Amino acid sequence: MNDQPHSHDEPPELAGPPETPVDAGSQALSEALRSSFAIIRFVMIVLVVVFFASGFFTVGPAQRAIILRFGKPLHEGEKALLGPGKLHWSFPYPIDEVVKVNIAGIQTVESTTGWYAETPEQRASGIEPPAPQGTPLNPAVDGYVLTADDNIIHTRATLTYRISEPVRYVFGFVNASNAVQNAVDNAVLWAASQFKVDDVLTHDVAGFQEAVRRRAVQLIEKQDLGVTVEQCVVQSIRPRQLKDAFDQVTSAEQGRGKALIAAHSAENQITNQASADARSLIKLAEIDRDQMVKDMAAQAERFRDILPQYQRSPALFVQQQLSETLGRVLTNAQDKIFVAEGADGKPRELRLLFNREFTKRTP
Amino acid sequence: MKRNPLTLVIGILLIIIFGLWLFVFQVRTTEVAVVTRFGNPTRPITEPGAYGKLPWPIEKVWTFDKRVQNFEDQLTERQTRDNFTLLMAVYVGWKITDPAAFFPKFVSSDDPIKEAERQLDRLLGNAKAAAIGRHPLSDFISASGNGTNFVGIENEILTTLQSQVQANNYGLEIEFLGIKRLQLPSNVSQSVFDRMTEERKRLAEQLQNEGDAEAQNIRSEAGRKAQEMLATARGQATEIKGKGVAEATKSLAVFQQNPELASFLLRLNALEGSLKERSILVFDQNMPPFDLLRGGTTNWLSK
Repeated sequence: MNDQPHSHDEPPELAGPPETPVDAGSQALSEALRSSFAIIRFVMIVLVVVFFASGFFTVGPAQRAIILRFGKPLHEGEKALLGPGKLHWSFPYPIDEVVKVNIAGIQTVESTTGWYAETPEQRASGIEPPAPQGTPLNPAVDGYVLTADDNIIHTRATLTYRISEPVRYVFGFVNASNAVQNAVDNAVLWAASQFKVDDVLTHDVAGFQEAVRRRAVQLIEKQDLGVTVEQCVVQSIRPRQLKDAFDQVTSAEQGRGKALIAAHSAENQITNQASADARSLIKLAEIDRDQMVKDMAAQAERFRDILPQYQRSPALFVQQQLSETLGRVLTNAQDKIFVAEGADGKPRELRLLFNREFTKRTP
Repeated sequence: MKRNPLTLVIGILLIIIFGLWLFVFQVRTTEVAVVTRFGNPTRPITEPGAYGKLPWPIEKVWTFDKRVQNFEDQLTERQTRDNFTLLMAVYVGWKITDPAAFFPKFVSSDDPIKEAERQLDRLLGNAKAAAIGRHPLSDFISASGNGTNFVGIENEILTTLQSQVQANNYGLEIEFLGIKRLQLPSNVSQSVFDRMTEERKRLAEQLQNEGDAEAQNIRSEAGRKAQEMLATARGQATEIKGKGVAEATKSLAVFQQNPELASFLLRLNALEGSLKERSILVFDQNMPPFDLLRGGTTNWLSK
């Protein structure tokens, strides 16, 4: 029993190996096929996973994404815009297509048609290329605008904007920034056509800038470019050929300002002096008045004091007062001439020649 | 046994993909398309999405960009109604709206968009010339009217161009149009410079004269004001003094008690006041106290 099962068991074990040499090639093939199918299946699963996983995407902080399903935006209006902060998913191409748009970045365009020809180096250095009087403007390269009073000036507008409707901006225009630029060019031309040269350059710079901005905004809205204007800065200068002529006016203006300042300071001085004089006149009058009143009061006071004395003996009082006064007067008098009565009792005659004062006047 | 369903799935998938590729096409939101059957345009498509078609060579799909295109033309020279020569360039925003009409006219070209713009340029030349010729220079540049004439000219060109495009049935639409450049020929700009120089000179002189006159004005006005102030002050001073006199007069009542003494005191004061300095006194012996000199002391005493 023991052998039998052994002997019975053995043949299959032995039968196995004999088969191997017979069909070794096909067995290896089937083994290989089987494992390669396993690999293929694995790869396919991976591919399917990758296929669907590739549909995940994120949106940058300054971006918005729009999914186009079969070429058509998945939603209408604002809902079509996918923002940052979430993981989004779309079918891979060709079912869905994700279009990302930068929106937060401030874009800048500059008008191109109002400025003279200059190289980027000249622009960067800020030095205007010299153009002596008599150098004509070449319409092919030199830009300028015409003002309302038929003058030629250079002006340049720099407009900054932000994309407010990405769907319109990206899907509506082949080159929306180009359209914005055309709007700015037109705005500069339009604004200049109704401003006078001095208003643009000096008197109403802000008004001109505002006119350019208003027109640009209006055009952008009318053309529905999907952008919002942030700022519009306009720079204008006279033609380089007329630098001297314009400088003359500027210096005349400054001269006028100086003359006016001088006149105003003279005016201040004159009126200040006059008001000081007026004040002192009044002050003096007040002093005079006070003096007069005080004097009079003092005299009255004195009179009141003296009166009893006088009433006691008027003749003596008069005599005394007169003598005192004369004594003081004589002390102060420069010359005193006493003419005594002659022997005959008649008054003497005295002749005086006054020349002390007059000799000075007649040389 | 295991192989069959897998291959089947793969096979079916491939067939579906191939079929889709043959029978379905997409029109993107930025595009319009036209389907041609044996070269003949049959179906225009203006809405985005997925559409079916018969496979090539029966049907073929042509797509075109339907976004707004920017076109800028060159400066062209024209006379205004009042015989000024103006150079003008405009920009145009246009787009394809009817692919079925657009297709037969422009598809033969390598670049249909370029070709369409060449046609636009031609039409634009006429429209611009007509508009400039109808207006005087003052319609282009003018301080009055807030630029309405300027916009009016743009609208005229736009209307002319739109009607021409429509008449030609190009399948296009003009969205907007604006003047981009407005300039003068070289030699004219030179004469403008000469005139501007003259104007500047005149302006400089005017400013100078104005400044002088204004300064003079300010000064004389200041002088007048000063005179006025002093006159007022003098008046006030007189008034104050008058009040002082009035007040002082009140004290005079005291003197009424003895006018004789008052008169004596006043004269005494006047005498002293008038002989204060540089005076020469001449007097005789009758004048006190010199009457003392008339006789000896004894004499006087004996009296």
